Amino acid sequence: MSTQHSKAAEQYLQHDAVVKRHDNTFFGVRQKRDRMAQALPEWEDLREAADRIKKHTTTHLADYLEEFEKNAMANGVHVHWAEDAEEYNRIVHDILTAHKVKKVVKSKSMLTEECHLNEHLEKAGIDVVETDLGERILQMMKLAPSHIVMPALHVHREEIGDTFRKLIPDFDEIARNYGQAHDDPNDPTFLTYVARMHLRQQFAEADAGMTGANFGIAATGDVVVCTNEGNADMSTSLPRLHIVSMGIEKLIPDYQAMGVFQRLLARCGTGQETTVYTSHFRGPRPGGEMHIVLVDNGRSSIIGNAEHWQTLKCMRCGACMNTCPVYRRSAGYSYTYFIPGPIGINLGMLRNPRKYHDNVSACSLCCSCDNVCPVKVDLSTQIYRWRQELDSLGQADSMKKTMSRGMSFLYNHPALYTFALRCSSMANWFGALMNSKKVNPWAYGHRMMKFPKKSFHQLWKEKKL
Amino acid sequence: MNARDKILVRLRENTREQYEKPQMESLKPITYPDPVAEFITKTTTTAGAKLMELTEGESLNDAVRGAYPDAKVVASHLPGVEAQLNPDTVGEAQELMKVDVGVIEGRIGVAENACIWIPQTMKEKAVCFASEQLVIVLRREDIVNNMHEAYERIASTPEFFQPYGFGTFISGPSKTADIESALVYGAQAARGVTVILI
Repeated sequence: MSTQHSKAAEQYLQHDAVVKRHDNTFFGVRQKRDRMAQALPEWEDLREAADRIKKHTTTHLADYLEEFEKNAMANGVHVHWAEDAEEYNRIVHDILTAHKVKKVVKSKSMLTEECHLNEHLEKAGIDVVETDLGERILQMMKLAPSHIVMPALHVHREEIGDTFRKLIPDFDEIARNYGQAHDDPNDPTFLTYVARMHLRQQFAEADAGMTGANFGIAATGDVVVCTNEGNADMSTSLPRLHIVSMGIEKLIPDYQAMGVFQRLLARCGTGQETTVYTSHFRGPRPGGEMHIVLVDNGRSSIIGNAEHWQTLKCMRCGACMNTCPVYRRSAGYSYTYFIPGPIGINLGMLRNPRKYHDNVSACSLCCSCDNVCPVKVDLSTQIYRWRQELDSLGQADSMKKTMSRGMSFLYNHPALYTFALRCSSMANWFGALMNSKKVNPWAYGHRMMKFPKKSFHQLWKEKKL
Repeated sequence: MNARDKILVRLRENTREQYEKPQMESLKPITYPDPVAEFITKTTTTAGAKLMELTEGESLNDAVRGAYPDAKVVASHLPGVEAQLNPDTVGEAQELMKVDVGVIEGRIGVAENACIWIPQTMKEKAVCFASEQLVIVLRREDIVNNMHEAYERIASTPEFFQPYGFGTFISGPSKTADIESALVYGAQAARGVTVILI
């Protein structure tokens, strides 16, 4: 009866304090998002516009990609196309090899996670340095992200401090220059300073910078990257070579659309009015080179999926995770796909339903994600649909199937149903048995109810209501 | 067929229903009775920057020196600012890593979120990010209500991307909350920002 998600979540839930902290952290972000939404009278109109722009762009994507490519090339940018992860990794590797790159600084990109770029480059002997602070912490600890926007919030400061002390070679020297009294050796301000000095060294040494793309603007060929730390800008202001990795669904038509998405992204993602940096890259640095790799990796097939194509509207803000009661209490690693939460459940199923079907159980169908999604992806409805498809994938739970058949028989025979209802209070005599997890799996995590002597139906008939 | 053509063909084949481009007239973005006052409030609160207004007869250079009396290395390409480094003439962008104060010009201020549009007008844009402290000079008549108005201006001003193909909105100092959600200024880029309104 258990899925991999529920088993992993059970383990996670053993640590009450950790769960509470995780839950509070992300619900806090959700509340900040609410305050942002309430501060704008036009909030729902913005969501409506974002939804419609994305629907339009997604269903005209080939035209917009051609327009984007034409404009980017006119701006002096090299444009590459990759059908899948393998081709993408090869293209990036080839560009880096052609420029004899030994060290590349990288700002956060879920696409590179999707394609396992880092492993590919590291095998080829290229030093890949993640520069988003959260990503850098995870890279040093050899951990995967637990959230798409705030990837390392599940890690505690003591672990981060220990990792820095062990793996940053000039930690002591940096610490000596800090110059501010701090009692806690793992004080977040101090550790951020250490990371700052460590990363600035990496920016200065790197031969290439890689970024993702929050948006691609077809009308101008701009790539727009939003960060709070400024790491994407540092990564592209010091090295001369800039490689952008961009999923083809990131396109939007023009600057009018950009206004809508810029206003939604940070408000929904982290509850800020804006990210600190919203950078428009329209060409290479003076004397430098800029490459954009457009990656399909399954996206062009998703468009043909009548029930699930709208997942492509997602702009990876993470709002659905922050609001999800299951995500908040089971955390990122309980999911088997690298993107967790409601959007991850759906993206995993689109990637490989046989491999990632375990995650569809990680939803209570409370529909909160649908209500916070800035582009109105109907996340919970889609999860519900995937559940309907489990049987055809041969992944439906046999116990639930038997129960469903039984219930179907019962509900289709009114006389039997009424008789059973009359007898139901007899179940109370076997209370201990009913609450035994061995006999009744439903009793796991639930207290069995006491059946009343008379049903509502009976009371109504006897005019006792 | 190459990857490009295969992707485009597949997209066209797989697209079912097509949706029209929405009209945006019904979207009425927020405006403020006094956008400059709103910009100042947002700059000094949520964005976490300092704000100065140039007083009568005060030069930009005096204001910068007054705000950062201990600065050893100032970098700027703006006329009238005494600087040790000029982002137009440095040999390598890496030289700008040691800048104490970078002084640059913003062209649009946005009241709703304290964003300032900074088109790249210098050879090395590293001055906008690598400087420890950043001073952004902005004309008060260049302040608009919201991002829609800002993007409208950018779309109708192609010069913003000439001669360099880069522009950025900056709203306050570099920030992170990646360690236990504790908000810290100065992740990798500027640790502090001062906006000077002229």
